[in-house]
Amino acid sequence: MYNNTWQKKNTFSYNQFKDLDLLVKEKKRKNLTISLCLPTLNEERTIAKEIIIMKSELMTRFPLLDEIVVIDSGSRDKTREIARSYDVDVYEANDILPAYEKFKGKGENLWKALYITKGDIIIYIDADIKNIHHRFVYGLIGPLLLYDNIRYTKAFYDRPIALGKDRLRPTGGGRVTELVIRPLFSLFFPELTQILQPLSGEYAGFRDIFENIAFPIGYGIETSMILDIYEKWGLDVMAQVDLDRRVHKNQTTKALGVMSFMIMKTFLKRIARLGRVDINQNLFDEMIQYSLVSEELQPDVFSLPTSERPPMIGIPEYQKKFSRENTA
Amino acid sequence: MKNYLDPIPKFCEELKKIREIILTNIVLLGQIPAPTFLEKRRADLLLERMAELDMDECTTDSYGNPIGIIRGKSSKKPPIFIEAHLDTFAKDPCLDHDFIVTDTFIKGAGVSDNSTGVGVLASLPEIIKRLDLKFDSDIILISDVESLGKGNLKGIRNFLKVWTTPIRGAICLESVEFGRLNYYSEGMIRAEIECNIEAGTGWQASAKPNAILVINEAINEILKLRLPQKPITKIVIGKISGGFKHGQNAFDSSAGFEIRSDSDDIVKEIFNDIKDIVTGISHRYGVILKLKRISNRNTARINFNHPLVKSASGILKTMGMVPICNSSESALSIFLSKKIPAVTVGITHGNNYRQQNAMVEIAPIYKGIAQILSLLMAIDSGVCDV
Repeated sequence: MYNNTWQKKNTFSYNQFKDLDLLVKEKKRKNLTISLCLPTLNEERTIAKEIIIMKSELMTRFPLLDEIVVIDSGSRDKTREIARSYDVDVYEANDILPAYEKFKGKGENLWKALYITKGDIIIYIDADIKNIHHRFVYGLIGPLLLYDNIRYTKAFYDRPIALGKDRLRPTGGGRVTELVIRPLFSLFFPELTQILQPLSGEYAGFRDIFENIAFPIGYGIETSMILDIYEKWGLDVMAQVDLDRRVHKNQTTKALGVMSFMIMKTFLKRIARLGRVDINQNLFDEMIQYSLVSEELQPDVFSLPTSERPPMIGIPEYQKKFSRENTA
Repeated sequence: MKNYLDPIPKFCEELKKIREIILTNIVLLGQIPAPTFLEKRRADLLLERMAELDMDECTTDSYGNPIGIIRGKSSKKPPIFIEAHLDTFAKDPCLDHDFIVTDTFIKGAGVSDNSTGVGVLASLPEIIKRLDLKFDSDIILISDVESLGKGNLKGIRNFLKVWTTPIRGAICLESVEFGRLNYYSEGMIRAEIECNIEAGTGWQASAKPNAILVINEAINEILKLRLPQKPITKIVIGKISGGFKHGQNAFDSSAGFEIRSDSDDIVKEIFNDIKDIVTGISHRYGVILKLKRISNRNTARINFNHPLVKSASGILKTMGMVPICNSSESALSIFLSKKIPAVTVGITHGNNYRQQNAMVEIAPIYKGIAQILSLLMAIDSGVCDV
């Protein structure tokens, strides 16, 4: 079943899109607008750095981005105040489409960003990237502007892990990818194993892609996005871009366990919906882990229901704002 | 004075409009560690950014100093130099710094010495273009390598050694403190005393002298030296280290110090006195005690009433600052020793210099840059042509 034709054809490096003048020219020629969305939750240490670099390089010097929008999940630190001080649009997720039930999570912010942003292309970048650089954005936008068949791009990286204040481990990371997602893809969608880092948090795409897919609220968003785009439009509309290095915080195995639970649940629900498997029971919402406290095992039980937002194209307020008909 | 003082408020307003470009240059360049002798990665990025800005020329000289040139209108006027040393404090040369930016400050290793200076230097071509400023002289931007400590200003020394044509004037940029105005350099020798004792074996080890006490003895002897009040002279003992375990005699130790004076001869005389002290103690304790000269500067100055100093002072006063004038042993001393009128100015306020958590304030940066532009206009209008 091994097949790497997509990988050979649709894998790029950010270096191929360094000519920002060319990208701006293509954007103008195609009469497109581009929005950058930064979902946040307590990111006061990193948000300003992301905003100033993107504004400087991709708005002031090269007019590639038309807007930067911060969608915040209710930070308790100075995230929103700092972001506003750099003159970008800042929203609390709960204030967007207030008539609908409120959820808290990255997927919720990304879904609501569709309603708030104006761009034909939307790019989502995590707001906690320590070594942020504008290549993270132009690298993902490049294939969308220069290749007509590509409608969605996803990042992959060399992934050093921050092991403390001043220490980095040069390789590693991606444990959930290698232990959870890659085995699942290999079992059910071998073609998708060509995507090197399906869980990377940075991706870009045309609005007509994002508005037609559902958005799980929590960690399952990246997995469901790939499965839905694959099912609706096929692998050829996707591309992956090497963005070099991304420094991220190392997470504990237990935290990754919680993440894996959510991803597996999203995956199983998706393949059941696609008729690939029959699951003859309801999936449980509790993840149970154990800690050894004073020589005794104590359970840590996390309640993790997987809520999901429907395709935005079906939301009347969105249809009205963007003059859309429901095609989902 | 009016022609270069009047536009200051407008400069500040315009600079705020492109603050992201300035802050981005500080962050992107500053996050690349550039300890003295290992500045190449940062130098490459600085050149890359200068090239992107369509500078008339940008290159590195044979010593590795990145240089950019903004061509002036007149081919007859000598060039004006703007300098910011490229090397900064860095704990680990392989690990990129992680700067934190907020609405009010930037925090990170080296940001207050001299990453803000380098970032502002890199931003000047864009600033000059956006403010539509035109100069008669060529403006030469140089970010010299091997400046700090054992680097002993080799980058700028070598550059000026091979630069044979006249230079109209120079502005040296330091990240902090906004309000400083340096126009003279004291004579200085920076040196280290190192004590090494062979550990020996068995009972021999405990019979050896303690290297920390030996260094302590040397420091006590140095402190007994009589220093003249005129020319003003001082010895600053700024570094000490040694030993490896609380309960064991130290086998190595070192102390770093500077001798500073308005007179080069006095500096040399005191250095020779310290050499005698070191030799004497070495004999007395039977240990290896070495005195190493790390760097030196000669006294150099322009007068307080030099038009360049008066202009720089006037600019600061217009901005509501009282100029703080003292000696600077940076690249300034090399320009001045070549009889090139020069001053060092600071860009913003900050703290924790040369520490991992160094910090600079964002708000004063605009005034700090407006000061540079105004000073550039002053030099271009002839204040150094005396």
